[in-house]
Amino acid sequence: SRELFVLTYGALVAQLCKDYEKDEDVNTCLDRMGYGIGVRLIDDFLARSAAKKCRSYSETADMIAQVAFKMYLGVTPRVSCSSAAGNEFSLILDKNPLVDFVEELPAERASLCYCNLLCGVIRGALEMVHLAAEVTFLQDRLKGDAVTEIGITFLRKAEDRKHKRN
Amino acid sequence: VLVSVICSPPQNYPLYIRSVPTENELKFHYTVHTSLDVVDEKISAMGKALVDQRELYLGLLYPTEDYKVYGYVTNSKVKFVMVVDSSNTALRDNEIRSMFRKLHNSYTDIMCNPFYNPGDCIHSRAFDNMVNSMMMQVC
Repeated sequence: SRELFVLTYGALVAQLCKDYEKDEDVNTCLDRMGYGIGVRLIDDFLARSAAKKCRSYSETADMIAQVAFKMYLGVTPRVSCSSAAGNEFSLILDKNPLVDFVEELPAERASLCYCNLLCGVIRGALEMVHLAAEVTFLQDRLKGDAVTEIGITFLRKAEDRKHKRN
Repeated sequence: VLVSVICSPPQNYPLYIRSVPTENELKFHYTVHTSLDVVDEKISAMGKALVDQRELYLGLLYPTEDYKVYGYVTNSKVKFVMVVDSSNTALRDNEIRSMFRKLHNSYTDIMCNPFYNPGDCIHSRAFDNMVNSMMMQVC
Protein backbone atom coordinates (compact mmCIF):
# COMPACT_ATOMS: atom_id res chain seq x y z
CA SER A 1 0.00 0.00 0.00
CA ARG A 2 3.06 2.21 -0.07
CA GLU A 3 2.45 3.08 -3.75
CA LEU A 4 -1.11 4.10 -3.01
CA PHE A 5 0.07 6.41 -0.25
CA VAL A 6 2.79 7.97 -2.40
CA LEU A 7 0.45 8.38 -5.37
CA THR A 8 -2.22 9.91 -3.12
CA TYR A 9 0.26 12.41 -1.76
CA GLY A 10 1.36 13.23 -5.28
CA ALA A 11 -2.21 13.74 -6.42
CA LEU A 12 -2.78 16.02 -3.42
CA VAL A 13 0.21 18.19 -4.28
CA ALA A 14 -0.70 18.28 -7.97
CA GLN A 15 -4.25 19.35 -7.15
CA LEU A 16 -3.00 22.08 -4.80
CA CYS A 17 -0.75 23.31 -7.57
CA LYS A 18 -3.78 23.60 -9.81
CA ASP A 19 -5.78 25.40 -7.13
CA TYR A 20 -3.15 27.93 -6.11
CA GLU A 21 -1.00 29.94 -8.47
CA LYS A 22 1.80 30.84 -6.11
CA ASP A 23 4.23 28.29 -4.69
CA GLU A 24 4.15 29.94 -1.26
CA ASP A 25 0.39 29.40 -1.04
CA VAL A 26 0.79 25.73 -1.84
CA ASN A 27 3.58 25.45 0.73
CA THR A 28 1.46 27.14 3.38
CA CYS A 29 -1.49 24.94 2.61
CA LEU A 30 0.62 21.79 2.86
CA ASP A 31 2.07 22.99 6.14
CA ARG A 32 -1.40 23.66 7.56
CA MET A 33 -2.64 20.25 6.49
CA GLY A 34 0.43 18.67 8.03
CA TYR A 35 -0.21 20.52 11.25
CA GLY A 36 -3.72 19.11 11.40
CA ILE A 37 -2.33 15.63 10.86
CA GLY A 38 0.44 16.13 13.42
CA VAL A 39 -1.78 17.16 16.33
CA ARG A 40 -3.76 13.96 15.83
CA LEU A 41 -0.91 11.67 14.93
CA ILE A 42 1.03 12.35 18.12
CA ASP A 43 -1.42 10.40 20.26
CA ASP A 44 -1.27 7.45 17.94
CA PHE A 45 2.51 7.64 18.00
CA LEU A 46 2.75 7.85 21.77
CA ALA A 47 0.32 4.98 22.20
CA ARG A 48 2.07 2.71 19.73
CA SER A 49 5.62 3.47 20.66
CA ALA A 50 5.11 3.75 24.43
CA ALA A 51 7.86 6.30 24.39
CA LYS A 52 9.17 7.67 27.61
CA LYS A 53 9.28 11.38 28.25
CA CYS A 54 12.23 12.95 26.51
CA ARG A 55 14.52 14.85 28.80
CA SER A 56 16.23 17.00 26.25
CA TYR A 57 15.79 18.44 22.79
CA SER A 58 18.32 16.08 21.33
CA GLU A 59 16.44 13.11 22.75
CA THR A 60 13.28 14.50 21.17
CA ALA A 61 14.97 14.88 17.81
CA ASP A 62 16.35 11.36 18.02
CA MET A 63 12.90 10.05 18.90
CA ILE A 64 11.37 11.76 15.86
CA ALA A 65 14.03 10.46 13.52
CA GLN A 66 14.52 6.94 14.77
CA VAL A 67 11.07 6.00 15.97
CA ALA A 68 8.48 8.20 14.33
CA PHE A 69 9.93 8.36 10.83
CA LYS A 70 10.65 4.65 10.94
CA MET A 71 7.11 3.88 12.06
CA TYR A 72 5.28 6.01 9.53
CA LEU A 73 7.55 6.32 6.54
CA GLY A 74 9.91 3.41 6.92
CA VAL A 75 13.07 5.51 6.72
CA THR A 76 15.44 6.67 9.43
CA PRO A 77 16.97 10.08 8.88
CA ARG A 78 20.27 11.02 10.46
CA VAL A 79 20.13 13.59 13.20
CA SER A 80 22.68 16.32 13.56
CA CYS A 81 22.73 19.20 16.00
CA SER A 82 23.44 22.44 14.25
CA SER A 83 23.65 25.00 17.00
CA ALA A 84 25.74 25.46 20.10
CA ALA A 85 22.67 26.26 22.16
CA GLY A 86 21.38 22.76 21.48
CA ASN A 87 18.00 23.78 20.17
CA GLU A 88 18.51 23.46 16.43
CA PHE A 89 18.59 20.08 14.79
CA SER A 90 18.67 18.71 11.29
CA LEU A 91 17.11 15.53 10.02
CA ILE A 92 18.96 14.40 6.94
CA LEU A 93 17.03 12.09 4.66
CA ASP A 94 18.99 10.13 2.11
CA LYS A 95 15.89 8.50 0.79
CA ASN A 96 12.49 10.12 0.83
CA PRO A 97 9.69 7.70 -0.09
CA LEU A 98 7.23 10.49 -0.80
CA VAL A 99 9.18 11.61 -3.85
CA ASP A 100 9.74 8.15 -5.31
CA PHE A 101 7.89 8.88 -8.49
CA VAL A 102 8.58 12.58 -8.82
CA GLU A 103 11.64 13.09 -10.90
CA GLU A 104 11.93 16.81 -10.62
CA LEU A 105 9.74 19.78 -9.95
CA PRO A 106 8.03 21.29 -12.97
CA ALA A 107 9.72 24.40 -14.25
CA GLU A 108 7.00 26.77 -13.12
CA ARG A 109 7.05 25.39 -9.57
CA ALA A 110 10.66 25.92 -8.71
CA SER A 111 10.12 26.97 -5.12
CA LEU A 112 7.55 24.36 -4.21
CA CYS A 113 8.41 22.43 -1.06
CA TYR A 114 6.97 19.13 -2.15
CA CYS A 115 7.12 17.49 1.27
CA ASN A 116 6.07 20.48 3.30
CA LEU A 117 3.34 18.32 4.80
CA LEU A 118 6.07 16.59 6.83
CA CYS A 119 7.14 19.90 8.35
CA GLY A 120 3.60 20.61 9.44
CA VAL A 121 3.21 17.13 10.91
CA ILE A 122 6.35 17.51 13.02
CA ARG A 123 5.35 20.98 14.12
CA GLY A 124 1.83 19.92 15.12
CA ALA A 125 3.02 16.83 16.94
CA LEU A 126 5.62 18.75 18.91
CA GLU A 127 3.09 21.38 19.85
CA MET A 128 0.82 18.77 21.39
CA VAL A 129 3.63 17.75 23.73
CA HIS A 130 4.14 21.38 24.62
CA LEU A 131 7.24 21.98 22.57
CA ALA A 132 7.01 24.92 20.22
CA ALA A 133 9.20 24.51 17.19
CA GLU A 134 9.80 25.85 13.76
CA VAL A 135 10.25 23.21 11.11
CA THR A 136 11.38 23.96 7.59
CA PHE A 137 13.20 22.39 4.70
CA LEU A 138 16.84 23.40 4.57
CA GLN A 139 17.80 21.32 1.56
CA ASP A 140 15.63 19.52 -0.94
CA ARG A 141 16.75 16.88 -3.38
CA LEU A 142 14.00 17.87 -5.77
CA LYS A 143 15.54 21.31 -6.01
CA GLY A 144 18.96 19.99 -6.87
CA ASP A 145 20.57 19.62 -3.45
CA ALA A 146 22.42 16.46 -2.57
CA VAL A 147 20.14 15.40 0.27
CA THR A 148 16.86 16.38 1.81
CA GLU A 149 17.32 18.16 5.11
CA ILE A 150 14.58 19.17 7.55
CA GLY A 151 15.57 21.73 10.17
CA ILE A 152 13.84 21.77 13.57
CA THR A 153 14.36 24.78 15.80
CA PHE A 154 12.92 24.48 19.28
CA LEU A 155 11.62 27.88 20.25
CA ARG A 156 11.17 27.98 23.98
CA LYS A 157 11.85 25.72 26.86
CA ALA A 158 9.40 22.89 27.47
CA GLU A 159 6.81 24.00 29.99
CA ASP A 160 7.43 22.82 33.47
CA ARG A 161 4.55 20.59 34.55
CA LYS A 162 4.76 21.69 38.16
CA HIS A 163 4.45 25.23 36.98
CA LYS A 164 1.25 24.45 35.13
CA ARG A 165 -0.48 23.04 38.16
CA ASN A 166 -0.23 26.31 40.04
CA VAL B 1 19.47 3.31 -37.07
CA LEU B 2 16.86 2.95 -34.44
CA VAL B 3 13.72 4.89 -33.74
CA SER B 4 11.26 4.46 -30.96
CA VAL B 5 7.88 6.08 -30.58
CA ILE B 6 5.14 5.98 -28.02
CA CYS B 7 1.60 6.73 -29.10
CA SER B 8 -1.37 7.06 -26.88
CA PRO B 9 -5.06 6.53 -27.48
CA PRO B 10 -7.43 7.73 -28.66
CA GLN B 11 -5.97 10.08 -31.21
CA ASN B 12 -2.70 8.13 -31.50
CA TYR B 13 -0.47 11.13 -31.67
CA PRO B 14 3.10 10.50 -30.63
CA LEU B 15 3.98 11.32 -27.04
CA TYR B 16 7.64 10.65 -27.56
CA ILE B 17 9.82 10.04 -30.57
CA ARG B 18 13.54 9.56 -30.54
CA SER B 19 15.82 8.43 -33.30
CA VAL B 20 19.50 7.69 -33.57
CA PRO B 21 20.96 9.23 -35.71
CA THR B 22 18.69 12.21 -35.61
CA GLU B 23 18.35 13.14 -39.25
CA ASN B 24 15.44 11.93 -41.41
CA GLU B 25 13.10 12.12 -38.48
CA LEU B 26 10.20 13.12 -40.73
CA LYS B 27 10.50 9.94 -42.74
CA PHE B 28 10.28 7.95 -39.55
CA HIS B 29 7.19 9.86 -38.50
CA TYR B 30 5.62 8.67 -41.73
CA THR B 31 6.75 5.06 -41.31
CA VAL B 32 5.44 4.96 -37.77
CA HIS B 33 2.15 6.47 -38.77
CA THR B 34 1.55 3.83 -41.39
CA SER B 35 2.57 1.08 -39.02
CA LEU B 36 -0.10 2.22 -36.55
CA ASP B 37 -2.69 0.83 -38.93
CA VAL B 38 -0.99 -2.55 -38.81
CA VAL B 39 -0.99 -2.34 -35.03
CA ASP B 40 -4.71 -1.68 -34.92
CA GLU B 41 -5.31 -4.55 -37.28
CA LYS B 42 -3.36 -6.93 -35.10
CA ILE B 43 -5.12 -5.77 -31.94
CA SER B 44 -8.55 -6.34 -33.40
CA ALA B 45 -7.50 -9.74 -34.76
CA MET B 46 -6.21 -10.78 -31.35
CA GLY B 47 -9.24 -9.45 -29.54
CA LYS B 48 -11.24 -12.65 -29.59
CA ALA B 49 -8.44 -15.01 -28.68
CA LEU B 50 -7.36 -15.45 -25.09
CA VAL B 51 -4.16 -13.65 -24.39
CA ASP B 52 -2.06 -15.17 -21.66
CA GLN B 53 0.64 -12.57 -21.59
CA ARG B 54 -0.62 -9.30 -20.22
CA GLU B 55 1.53 -7.12 -22.40
CA LEU B 56 0.94 -7.71 -26.06
CA TYR B 57 4.21 -7.89 -27.90
CA LEU B 58 3.18 -7.69 -31.53
CA GLY B 59 6.44 -8.67 -33.09
CA LEU B 60 7.53 -7.68 -36.56
CA LEU B 61 4.78 -5.51 -37.99
CA TYR B 62 6.04 -5.36 -41.53
CA PRO B 63 9.41 -5.33 -43.18
CA THR B 64 10.12 -2.75 -45.81
CA GLU B 65 13.27 -2.88 -47.89
CA ASP B 66 15.15 -0.63 -45.52
CA TYR B 67 13.50 -1.06 -42.18
CA LYS B 68 11.84 -3.48 -39.86
CA VAL B 69 9.08 -2.20 -37.65
CA TYR B 70 8.22 -3.78 -34.33
CA GLY B 71 5.19 -3.05 -32.23
CA TYR B 72 4.08 -3.49 -28.63
CA VAL B 73 0.80 -2.50 -27.06
CA THR B 74 -0.24 -2.37 -23.43
CA ASN B 75 -3.60 -3.15 -21.92
CA SER B 76 -4.27 0.55 -21.69
CA LYS B 77 -3.88 0.72 -25.48
CA VAL B 78 -0.64 2.66 -25.39
CA LYS B 79 1.36 1.69 -28.44
CA PHE B 80 5.11 1.47 -28.60
CA VAL B 81 6.71 1.27 -32.03
CA MET B 82 10.33 0.63 -32.89
CA VAL B 83 11.91 1.02 -36.31
CA VAL B 84 15.18 -0.77 -36.87
CA ASP B 85 17.54 -0.79 -39.81
CA SER B 86 17.26 -3.96 -41.86
CA SER B 87 21.02 -4.13 -42.06
CA ASN B 88 21.14 -4.62 -38.31
CA THR B 89 20.67 -8.37 -38.34
CA ALA B 90 22.28 -8.85 -34.96
CA LEU B 91 19.10 -7.89 -33.13
CA ARG B 92 17.22 -10.94 -31.97
CA ASP B 93 13.57 -11.19 -31.06
CA ASN B 94 14.08 -11.41 -27.31
CA GLU B 95 16.38 -8.40 -27.37
CA ILE B 96 13.60 -6.40 -28.94
CA ARG B 97 11.19 -7.79 -26.36
CA SER B 98 13.42 -6.71 -23.50
CA MET B 99 13.81 -3.27 -25.02
CA PHE B 100 10.05 -2.91 -25.17
CA ARG B 101 9.77 -4.09 -21.60
CA LYS B 102 12.29 -1.44 -20.48
CA LEU B 103 10.34 1.19 -22.39
CA HIS B 104 7.14 0.05 -20.74
CA ASN B 105 8.67 0.15 -17.25
CA SER B 106 10.01 3.64 -17.78
CA TYR B 107 6.65 4.69 -19.14
CA THR B 108 4.87 3.48 -16.01
CA ASP B 109 7.35 5.43 -13.89
CA ILE B 110 6.47 8.56 -15.84
CA MET B 111 2.77 7.91 -15.37
CA CYS B 112 3.26 7.79 -11.60
CA ASN B 113 4.73 11.28 -11.57
CA PRO B 114 1.94 13.43 -10.11
CA PHE B 115 2.90 16.36 -12.31
CA TYR B 116 2.54 14.40 -15.54
CA ASN B 117 -0.87 14.58 -17.19
CA PRO B 118 -1.72 11.60 -19.38
CA GLY B 119 -1.65 12.76 -22.97
CA ASP B 120 1.17 15.26 -22.46
CA CYS B 121 4.39 14.92 -24.40
CA ILE B 122 7.06 13.19 -22.39
CA HIS B 123 9.87 15.48 -21.27
CA SER B 124 11.57 13.41 -18.63
CA ARG B 125 15.33 13.35 -18.31
CA ALA B 126 15.40 9.87 -16.81
CA PHE B 127 13.34 8.58 -19.72
CA ASP B 128 15.64 10.25 -22.25
CA ASN B 129 18.68 8.73 -20.57
CA MET B 130 17.15 5.29 -20.59
CA VAL B 131 16.21 5.53 -24.26
CA ASN B 132 19.62 6.91 -25.22
CA SER B 133 21.50 4.19 -23.40
CA MET B 134 19.26 1.56 -24.92
CA MET B 135 19.82 2.89 -28.41
CA MET B 136 23.55 3.22 -27.94
CA GLN B 137 23.69 -0.42 -26.97
CA VAL B 138 22.11 -1.39 -30.24
CA CYS B 139 23.87 0.89 -32.67
